[in-house]
Amino acid sequence: MSIRVAISPQMISSSSAFALPDESIAREPPEIRGRSRSDVRMMVIDRQKSKIHHSHFSRLPEFLQSGDMLIFNSSRTIPSSVWGWIRDSQKLVEVRLAEHLSEGHWLALILSPEGKPLSRLGIKGAFVIDFGSELSCVAYSKDKSIPGLWKIDFHSFGSKFMELLYKIGQPIHYEYARCTLGLDFYQNVYARVPGSLEMPSAGRPFTWEMLLELKRRGVETGFVVLHSGLSSFASEENDLKSPVLEEEYSVSSSVAKAVNRAKREGRRVIAVGTTVVRALESSAKGSKGLVVPARGYTRLQITPKHRLAVVDGLVTGLHEPETSHLQLLQAFVSQRRIIEAYKDALSQGYLWHEFGDLNLIL
Amino acid sequence: MKERGKKKKKRLLGKSILITGGSQGLGRALAIDYAREGCKILAIVGRNLDALRKVEEEISHVSPETETLTISADLSVTQDLERIVAVTLSKSLGNLDVLVNNASSLGATPLPLLADFTDEDFVKVLQTNLIAPFVLTKKFLPSLIESMGSVINVTSDASRNAYPSWGGYGASKAALDMMTRIWAAELNELGVRVNSVDPGDMNTALHRAAEPDLDPKLWADPADVTGVFVYLASDESAGVTGKRLLAQSREWRAQFLSPHRLTIRNRARRHE
Repeated sequence: MSIRVAISPQMISSSSAFALPDESIAREPPEIRGRSRSDVRMMVIDRQKSKIHHSHFSRLPEFLQSGDMLIFNSSRTIPSSVWGWIRDSQKLVEVRLAEHLSEGHWLALILSPEGKPLSRLGIKGAFVIDFGSELSCVAYSKDKSIPGLWKIDFHSFGSKFMELLYKIGQPIHYEYARCTLGLDFYQNVYARVPGSLEMPSAGRPFTWEMLLELKRRGVETGFVVLHSGLSSFASEENDLKSPVLEEEYSVSSSVAKAVNRAKREGRRVIAVGTTVVRALESSAKGSKGLVVPARGYTRLQITPKHRLAVVDGLVTGLHEPETSHLQLLQAFVSQRRIIEAYKDALSQGYLWHEFGDLNLIL
Repeated sequence: MKERGKKKKKRLLGKSILITGGSQGLGRALAIDYAREGCKILAIVGRNLDALRKVEEEISHVSPETETLTISADLSVTQDLERIVAVTLSKSLGNLDVLVNNASSLGATPLPLLADFTDEDFVKVLQTNLIAPFVLTKKFLPSLIESMGSVINVTSDASRNAYPSWGGYGASKAALDMMTRIWAAELNELGVRVNSVDPGDMNTALHRAAEPDLDPKLWADPADVTGVFVYLASDESAGVTGKRLLAQSREWRAQFLSPHRLTIRNRARRHE
């Protein structure tokens, strides 16, 4: 999912460039329609030849070369939406985890059952939310600029917290989705380290069959971890003024070595997902873009002015106007070219959002 | 020849391991032996949390350095499987070296003929004995690939012999055996090993419930059949995949242990 940001001159706004009609939104995954998760289309933007190809994800290996390195985000999606009751008023609320601050401490969006951010609850000071008999939290401080965003403390953390979260939590359900879906639909097959509040969705169409095929063709693979945070704050007004949240990430020494070797040897490093772009570019040091092993938090926003030090290509989804993801794409391709490609994709019937089609930029 | 007084090398040092059905019987015995062999993180899954905690305490006496994670879950409930995976990987920071699919269900006891098996019980037996191993293997696959790890599926001679009244359990174990071989073939190039082990007749609650008229004293103690499981969990079994081993047979030792290791073992036995 994209993070909406305040409009800047570089932004592609819906008024200036393209509008996303309802029928262009993928409202359910291909599996619900009896197809494979890999059964999605793929628009290829070839920067060298200034060409746009319309293809299918199954043909990805044809666009890659032996020696290319694909880097994936192996963060595992957790059920980050929990429903509970404000203890004092018995008011039903939805709590969406937004950012993990420290053990037991989170930023979270508190919403009404209708999905509206709640900042005025008629309660002075901190209040308790109960999620059944075993888990509760204290909401003690609200964000001054984002209505509905609170700092909360759970009364459990670590393995105990994860146990309880998985018993009562569910994936965040956005209103464009046709039905509520289980967590498995929001999981990449290679996901390993639990932590993403929303699915890093560019990798969703990859199956083990595809990964094996790429391996047989000499495409190298590597994994970084970036736990993606909440992308939408439940209202357009909130989304436009939201600050960039910090996201925890790590790049191992083995992946850093492999990426640096690929760069030295002139082989392409292709990020599967914008989260990977942010993780790799955050870990790049010096003018030569050497990737160093890293573990920490990043607020890095890739803008059109960012000079990519590590990443040569990108597999990503299709993004709405006024989103940070479209800003990030302008580090790869000019705004004009993106608008041209997106208009083409719209005319070809491509589908947007996490269950939709892909865009490969080389 | 080992020097006298030299400590025996721990064969599972640093490994992260998950055992289903870890609260009693074979699962408990495996947990204790794996801890003894130096595993770093041991996740044991079972329905009874109190029983799991007793095993956790036993592990702490045998190996204080082993971090034990007790997960109360019902393998016949699909939602529990993701929880098992997520809680384990949160603790182990995404790592898993060994998955032991040991938990088994008989269905109703005394064991009914297939014709008398209820539909619901049949599904539940398949869910625990076949679907859960399938789902857990799939969900842990990224970690197992990273570690070039090992999956051990516990099977039974009921998978090969058509014992009347053992239809539900036998059918599920026969399917598990075939799935083991196919997993092994598919995952070979990714370096993940998948094998099944028939532990033989053991004196366990499951077996006593299945055959209440037989004398359990004739059956092996689960603690005496763990050798092949330790072998398959260790790096010594590198390259061994797609096999079905008999825990109470000497054949696996002859087939898979190197002649050098057998010589050392035989010499050690002569000096005992």
